[in-house]
Amino acid sequence: MARRRAAAPGALLVFLAMKAAPGDPALSVLGENARPELVQAFRHQHGLDLPLWRQFLRWISAALQGDFGRTLTLAGGVPVRELLASRLPVTAFVGLYALLLAVRISLLLGTIAALQRGRTLDTLTTSFAVLGVSTPDFWLGYVLIFFLALNVLIFPSYGFASPTQSIPGALLSGFLPALAIAAPMAAVFSRVLRAALLEVMHRPYVQVARSLGHGSAFVFVHAVLRNALIPYVTVIGLQVRYLLGGVVVIERVFGIPGLGSLMVDAAFGRDYPLIQACALTFLAIVLATNLIVDLVCTRLDPKARP
Amino acid sequence: MRHGRGTLFLGLGITLVVLFGILAGPFITPFSPEEMDFVNVLTPPDASHWLGTDSFGRDVLSRVLSGGRISLFISACGVAAGAVLGTALGMGAAWRGGTVEAGLMALSDLLFAFSSFVLALFLMVVLGFGLQNVIVAIGLTYLPVFARLARNLTRALMHEPFVQAARLIGLPPWRILAFEILPNILSTLMVQASIGVAFGIVIEAGLSFLGLGVQPPTPSLGVILADGREYFQRAPWVLTLAGAAVSVMLLGLNLLGDGLRDLADPRLRRAAGP
Repeated sequence: MARRRAAAPGALLVFLAMKAAPGDPALSVLGENARPELVQAFRHQHGLDLPLWRQFLRWISAALQGDFGRTLTLAGGVPVRELLASRLPVTAFVGLYALLLAVRISLLLGTIAALQRGRTLDTLTTSFAVLGVSTPDFWLGYVLIFFLALNVLIFPSYGFASPTQSIPGALLSGFLPALAIAAPMAAVFSRVLRAALLEVMHRPYVQVARSLGHGSAFVFVHAVLRNALIPYVTVIGLQVRYLLGGVVVIERVFGIPGLGSLMVDAAFGRDYPLIQACALTFLAIVLATNLIVDLVCTRLDPKARP
Repeated sequence: MRHGRGTLFLGLGITLVVLFGILAGPFITPFSPEEMDFVNVLTPPDASHWLGTDSFGRDVLSRVLSGGRISLFISACGVAAGAVLGTALGMGAAWRGGTVEAGLMALSDLLFAFSSFVLALFLMVVLGFGLQNVIVAIGLTYLPVFARLARNLTRALMHEPFVQAARLIGLPPWRILAFEILPNILSTLMVQASIGVAFGIVIEAGLSFLGLGVQPPTPSLGVILADGREYFQRAPWVLTLAGAAVSVMLLGLNLLGDGLRDLADPRLRRAAGP
């Protein structure tokens, strides 16, 4: 709940931080030795000569309508909105792909670990989990390239087929990047699921369900898993922040033209409107995910239902 | 019980070995991390160069050890700054309550809503690239984490009898916070810090890998990995083995953090399994 209050001050923070950044955007675009009247004209054109609060109001009201202005240095001044619109679907695809992989892997591993508690398989999955947390995702990306793309030639090592052009191509070329992002997250998810399953497994209502004569698979799915899902989904929501961080680096590693590589390019070019827009978009994604997770948790928890 | 202890000792062991390696590195490796050797360029790992050499003939192991020192320094400084400031702010906020507390928690909520890596990247643009600014970015990323943790822990203790007693004998608030409450919440903060240092190393490596953090020729882990990326096809061992060394370092810190947490919280130990 509290998270959602963050939207407006978040935008203000992004704006003010960007204003506090060293360097004059006019000089970085026009060059250090630009003529003063040209600098004046540039400032006026981009509204940089207005008072700060008017600049903020102008920026935020335009941003709310989807207008983030034009880029300063990148691609010679195209509208930021067009860049975002062309990059966002790619990032959304890779991010969701990674999330889906992480959920599938962790459901399998977490369940195995909980059911085999204390045996070899449990130790193995737990070790995998600790290893996964300790592996930087961009390094994992290169290891995957090395083993699965350079030597075996199953997956492309670089580049990305857009999902709008070909779905199978996108699934194939997106697999390694998604796996690199998913592995550390799957590690965290499976540990949480294991702990949650173990916590629920010996509750009285599970014993009641069992004593009523339901099969063990039925009891597991309806009595155990269902109640363990709430902490699991909550953690997935929290981890989306890390997922976005992974997306930024991994997009660079695999040459995926998404929002993350756009933000890195903007950082190199000191393209302030573009960085502001990227930061704001990432903030919006996190806030939207929190909202979705809250809604899912309310649906999952019978006690929280009105 | 045994599981928690085992994790703790394994983590402690790995961390100590890594610490020894990166601190004693300059004295025990026969090669200097900066010494170039153009006869042995991009040699695969062998008996004299355990992790091979890079495109300038520099010994990768020596570079990883000195890079580990730099990255650990950056991460530890950043986390320490974030922890000290965040804890002070969080404890103060919990003690004062009211608007101060609400305002501070709103600010920490706000910073929480950003992905920590995206926030660090954004801060690097605002502050400018370079080593000091990576420290500042990591510190600012961790500030809200510690502020919130310290605030919650302090709130839970504020009405305990020993705190009430300290109030009744007239101790000033800063003494109560520093000498009565802080020692009781320090273990939890330390667990967070050890996990934080591990993730701080990932942030540093990620930023420098992209070229937005520490700049070459300073050999931080991220710079070494970025370097290895340039000739990844010809000499894959530089990137893969240097990265594996980073993983070992993170593994030690994560196991240490897990073990400490299990030790500090017996309830978690039971939930986490045998």
